[in-house]
Amino acid sequence: MSPFLRVLENEVQIVALLFLASVYVFRILWILRFEPTRERTRPAGSKREGIAYSLLSISMPWSMEALRKKPGFYVQFLIFHLGVTAAIAATFIIPYRPELFRTKAVVLLFQIIIGAAFVVGLMRLRRRLRNPAVRLISTPDDYFSLILMILYFAAAVLAVPNRFPTAEWTLVLFFGLTAFFLVYVPFSKISHYLYYPFARYVLGKTLGHRGVFPIKEAKEETAFGPPEK
Amino acid sequence: MGRQKNEPPPALKSPLETSSQERARAANLGSVAEGRLKLYDPQADNVRKFLDLLGRKINRPLALSFAACVHCGLCAESCHYALARPDDPTMTPAYKADQIRRIFKRHKDWTGRIIPWWVHARYPRDDADLNLLKNIVFGACSACRRCTLNCPMGVDTAALVRFTRGLLTELGIVPEGIFNVNRDQWETGNQMAVTEEDYLETIAWVREELESETGIRGIEIPVDRTDCDFLYVINPREIKFDPRSLSDAARIFHLAGEKWTLPKRGWDMTNYGLFSGDDSLGAYIAENVYQAAAWLRSGRIVISECGHGYRSTRWEGYNWAGRDQTVPTESVVITLVRYLRQGRIKVDSAKNPEPVTFHDSCNIARSGDLVEEPRWVLRRVCADFREMEPHGRENFCCTGGGGLLSTPEYRSLRLEAAKIKAEQLQATGAKLVCTMCHNCVDGLADVIKHYKLNLKVVQILELVSRALASGNVQS
Repeated sequence: MSPFLRVLENEVQIVALLFLASVYVFRILWILRFEPTRERTRPAGSKREGIAYSLLSISMPWSMEALRKKPGFYVQFLIFHLGVTAAIAATFIIPYRPELFRTKAVVLLFQIIIGAAFVVGLMRLRRRLRNPAVRLISTPDDYFSLILMILYFAAAVLAVPNRFPTAEWTLVLFFGLTAFFLVYVPFSKISHYLYYPFARYVLGKTLGHRGVFPIKEAKEETAFGPPEK
Repeated sequence: MGRQKNEPPPALKSPLETSSQERARAANLGSVAEGRLKLYDPQADNVRKFLDLLGRKINRPLALSFAACVHCGLCAESCHYALARPDDPTMTPAYKADQIRRIFKRHKDWTGRIIPWWVHARYPRDDADLNLLKNIVFGACSACRRCTLNCPMGVDTAALVRFTRGLLTELGIVPEGIFNVNRDQWETGNQMAVTEEDYLETIAWVREELESETGIRGIEIPVDRTDCDFLYVINPREIKFDPRSLSDAARIFHLAGEKWTLPKRGWDMTNYGLFSGDDSLGAYIAENVYQAAAWLRSGRIVISECGHGYRSTRWEGYNWAGRDQTVPTESVVITLVRYLRQGRIKVDSAKNPEPVTFHDSCNIARSGDLVEEPRWVLRRVCADFREMEPHGRENFCCTGGGGLLSTPEYRSLRLEAAKIKAEQLQATGAKLVCTMCHNCVDGLADVIKHYKLNLKVVQILELVSRALASGNVQS
């Protein structure tokens, strides 16, 4: 391994990660600067249940009509984010647990997951370009972030075999992109995962208090009738 | 890839109409003089004022809804405007929200401040831009919250729309119909400017009619009676256009042996503060109701059948008024459930033999807590109750929500979007569509008329009143 790659895999990543973490701290402080709201009414439901339901709703695609109508969209979402997770995991495995990628099955598994995410990325780019509604709301940041992810997945597929003696450029590309990501992410739409728990928490708290979350079906009547209010 | 026209529909090009505002200024109305009712000032730097207000009024849930959108476009699947106009990308909820989100990004977000073009961040340039924003938030969204519940990120687009409406209302950049109702609520305490004399006369007339119609002696519609079990608050529509609703309620309360009262002041539970985004108006109207309940020492507040009235009085009003809820506040449907459970009224479902379907009001099902209760009542008072699909939390708006019934300039677009509701109604095969909202009554009636559906709109109180069995005597 060249000294350049060694530094790129280690020190550069750590510095970039620290940068990301510190910007995130500022982001969170920025969110917290906005006044929280206070519910003054008596509850009709449970805030806790509402928050739990809201945070877990992403694992319950049946809870959203839009996802029930478009199950493929949800499958794409799963594959894409599994790919992200696998690619991020690879950035730690390669420098700190390289022996894991000496097992061919593990490498193949990562390549399949990340490769599938690469394909989904292309499908999403196609949708963003072709669907007039999505195209209209798309910003340069949306396109750039998605293209960057697609490139990142491609680089990760090439990098996970960790063949630095024969193909060091794949690792340089992968870790170079990782470092860039870590610096760019807090300023881009990719930081949505930082907002996700906050946004869902706040919505779940309000709608849980009001008894809207967890979403109930308008059921066939039971012997007990509607809940006591 | 053909180039898509992203022109807004003609209804969304409405100019700012200010003749009512000018009349209000000339009349020197109290609410104008006191600065509660805001008027448009073309000489003012409205863009600057808008940005100041945005910075001052934004709270954490709103900031998160601004920041969290990933532009996935999934919200288009849930919006009746987007579904009815599939070739019009400007109907996508995310696009509508982006019209204010871009201002937020330019004004508050790091990336938007440094490289605005990268995230489509932009300040409004002038009052014309603010007027366009007005047309989008007042004319192309009924704030039904369907997209909110279908957003994987938890973005509350309806809250962003209401927030924007509130900022524009502060500048007087508001549809004339909304302005007029705001004015009436500020000036008279009720949205239809019903005078106290008209109010009391109508109540007396309703009582007399009810007695002669039913032959039941001693029916009362008390006003300002103290120490009652509950204070009943109504929609001014029940005084001005549809006293049947109050009459049905009075009959049922009488038979249930209820000790109830209407207040002389603070009887209007509707609240245009919800639609105009004006929290101070919202607080003023809701506080009238809460003060009436406190003054009359009522055991609880019972809200007549009204979607936004229920949401405003049961939920938002306490928050707007900054008052912790101390008095139980419920929909009249809960009161009916109690009567039926306790056997205080007897009903016979055979008296409502026609097929009935139920339309959930958005403000009750998606911003409130009542989904099963109205159905529980309807199954007892109707012989043939059938669900429409989708229903409950997923029901589509009547298309008249969010104050849209007060804005004729957006009617053509509203009725075009109503195609979704019309199809939903027709598929039930019902003859009656029941709703627990006066606003939905008008919204649905408009849809039924426009799409020539063979349906009639009824309300729960009406069906319960019709189903009252002959063996009912006052409890």
